[in-house]
Amino acid sequence: MNKKPTAQDLESLMDMFEKSDWKELDLRMEGFELYLSKDPSRRRGGSTPPPRLRGEGAGEGPAPISAPSATSASASAVPAHWIAVKAPNLGTFYRAPKPGAAPYVQIGQVVTPETEVCLIEVMKLFTSVRAGVAGTVRQIAVQDAEMVEHDQVLMYIEPA
Amino acid sequence: MKRLLIANRGEIALRIVRAAHALGIESVLAASAADKDSLAAREADRTVVLGPAKASLSYLDPKLVVHAAKATGCDALHPGYGFLSERTALVTLCEDNGIAFVGPTATSMDQVGGKIAARELAAGAGVPLVPGSGALASADEALAFAETVGFPVVTKASAGGGGRGMVVAHSAAELREGFERASHEAKEAFGDGTLFLERFVQTARHIEVQVMGDGNGKVLHFGERDCSAQRRYQKMVEEAPGAILPDAVRARLHESAVRLLSSIKYRNAGTVEFLYDVERQAFYFIEVNARIQVEHPVSEQICGVDLIQMQLRVAGGEPLALEQQDIQRRGHAIEVRVIAEDPERNFAPSPGRITRWVPPVGDGVRLDSAMFEGAMVPPFYDSMIAKLIVSGSDRATTVTRLQRALDAFVIDGIATNLRLLRHIAAHPDFIENRISTRWLEQTLLPSFARG
Repeated sequence: MNKKPTAQDLESLMDMFEKSDWKELDLRMEGFELYLSKDPSRRRGGSTPPPRLRGEGAGEGPAPISAPSATSASASAVPAHWIAVKAPNLGTFYRAPKPGAAPYVQIGQVVTPETEVCLIEVMKLFTSVRAGVAGTVRQIAVQDAEMVEHDQVLMYIEPA
Repeated sequence: MKRLLIANRGEIALRIVRAAHALGIESVLAASAADKDSLAAREADRTVVLGPAKASLSYLDPKLVVHAAKATGCDALHPGYGFLSERTALVTLCEDNGIAFVGPTATSMDQVGGKIAARELAAGAGVPLVPGSGALASADEALAFAETVGFPVVTKASAGGGGRGMVVAHSAAELREGFERASHEAKEAFGDGTLFLERFVQTARHIEVQVMGDGNGKVLHFGERDCSAQRRYQKMVEEAPGAILPDAVRARLHESAVRLLSSIKYRNAGTVEFLYDVERQAFYFIEVNARIQVEHPVSEQICGVDLIQMQLRVAGGEPLALEQQDIQRRGHAIEVRVIAEDPERNFAPSPGRITRWVPPVGDGVRLDSAMFEGAMVPPFYDSMIAKLIVSGSDRATTVTRLQRALDAFVIDGIATNLRLLRHIAAHPDFIENRISTRWLEQTLLPSFARG
C-alpha cells in the first residue's frame, strides 16, 4: 500500500510549487491525484473537484465544506469577468421590496454601484444589498425567498 | 427533538454534534466563515455560514442564529458556552419562535444572571454569602462588626473598587489603625470616605457545584469541582472532587447549590460557584453560571454521565431519569486547558497552522478538542485548543497520569502553554493540593519564569 501524503506534505509541495518557475505540476499516486497550475484558465477535466487535503487516518485532515457552496458550484459556469454580488450574512433572499411587487432588478438591466438589487432578511429585519459595481445584471443565482449563507453568490453583473 | 442547531465553535461544537448524533438527533452547525472547514463542520449533518469571521457579525448575533435555526428546520438550539449562551435575548427569541433552547428559561436566566439579583436569591434560599456590614460611621462601629464575624476582615469603599480603600486587618489594633487610612484613601479616590467591612478570606479556593434541573423543581447535583488554579480569573486546571473539602462541608455545599436552584425550578445544566475559606472551612456564594461549562468533563468522568446528552434530553421535554442516589461519584479527574498562548511572551496569543499534533493516549486519558494536524487556529476567538482530561482511582494516581499525558502531548507550529501545564503538574504545591486562587499568579508563574 502506498502511503498517502499528509496535509503537511501537501502544504510543502504547494509552497515549493509556488516558489518554483514551473507552470504546472501533475502528481499521480495510487488512490491520490494532485494537479497544480499557475494558469487560472487551465482546469483539468472540468468536473474534477478541487484538490482536497486528506490526512492518513479516518478522523484526520482538514475537511471540505459539507454544505454545498453556491460560490464554487456556479463559478465555472459564468465568464471570468462577471462580478459576483454576494450575501453579507446568512438570511432570506428577496428579489422584490414586498410580495407581488416588481423585482429590484431584471436580467439585462443596467445598474450603478448604488442600485439596490435585492433584500436579505434576518428575523424580519430587511437589509438591502447594492450592486457595488456599474454594469448589466447577467444572472440571478438564487431563487426568491431562499435561504442564503454568508458570502453566497446572489447574482452576477457584467461590468460596464 | 429532531434537529438541533449548534451556535458555537471549537471543541464544544464538536462535542454537541456527537452528543446529538448519539441520541439520533440531526445536527446543523451555524459557523462563521473562519470555521466552515472545522472538524465540527465536517461531522455535522449540515453546516451553514452565518457571517464573516468577526464574532459580532456571526456568533454573537442572536437574530442571525435563530434565523439560521428556523431556515434549516431546527426545533432546538444549543448555545454551547461563551458567545450567546447566557444572553436572555437569545432565549426569548427561541421561546417566541417555537425553538427549544438547550438551557434555562429566560426568566431563570434573568433571576441568576445579574450579580445582585443572584445574591438576593441566594440569601433568600439560605445560601451563605461573604459576611459583610452596612456603611460604617466610625472605627468603633467597624470593631464591633469585626468582633461578630471574626478576624481577618477587609475594609472596602462604598463608592468604588479597584483596591482603593481596601485594608486587610488581622486584629483590633490593625483595624483601628487601618480604618482611618482606608477612609482617607477612599475619600481621595472617590470623594467619599464611607467604608464597609467584609470578612477576609486568607486562603481561598474556587469550588463549584454542577447541577441539572428538569424545570419542574427537581434538581440533581453531580458533585463539586475545584478550579482554584486561575490566572486573571481564567481557569487553567479544574478537578473533581474538591479533595480539600471535609465530607460534612461537602454535603452542605451540595445541598446549598441544589436548594438555590430548586427555589426557581431551574431547568437544564447550571453551576453554582462558591468561594471556599480553607482556614474557616466555610463557603460563600459567588454566582450562578446558567450554561454548560468548559470544565464539565471532570464531573462526567467521576459520575459516569454525559451531561450534554442529558441537556438535550431535558430540553426535549424528557424527565430526569436519575435520582440523586443513582449518581455515584468515583475516583478523581483533572482537566487542563491547552491554550494557543505563549506563557514565555506574556501569554501572547499564538494563532496559526498546527504542523504536528500528537495527543496523548492511554488509560484514563480523554481529549476534548477539534484540532488536528494541519488545522488552523484562527486569531479571532478564544485561544483554547484542547481540554486534556485524565482520571484515576484517586488524586495521586490521577496526577501521575496527568504528568505522563502532558509529557507525551506534542503540538508544533504554534506556541502553547503545554510547558507551563507540565510545570504546574510537577509542582509540589499542586501534587500535595496546597494551592489557593492566588497560587498560580503568586507562586507558580514566578517559579516558571525562573525556569
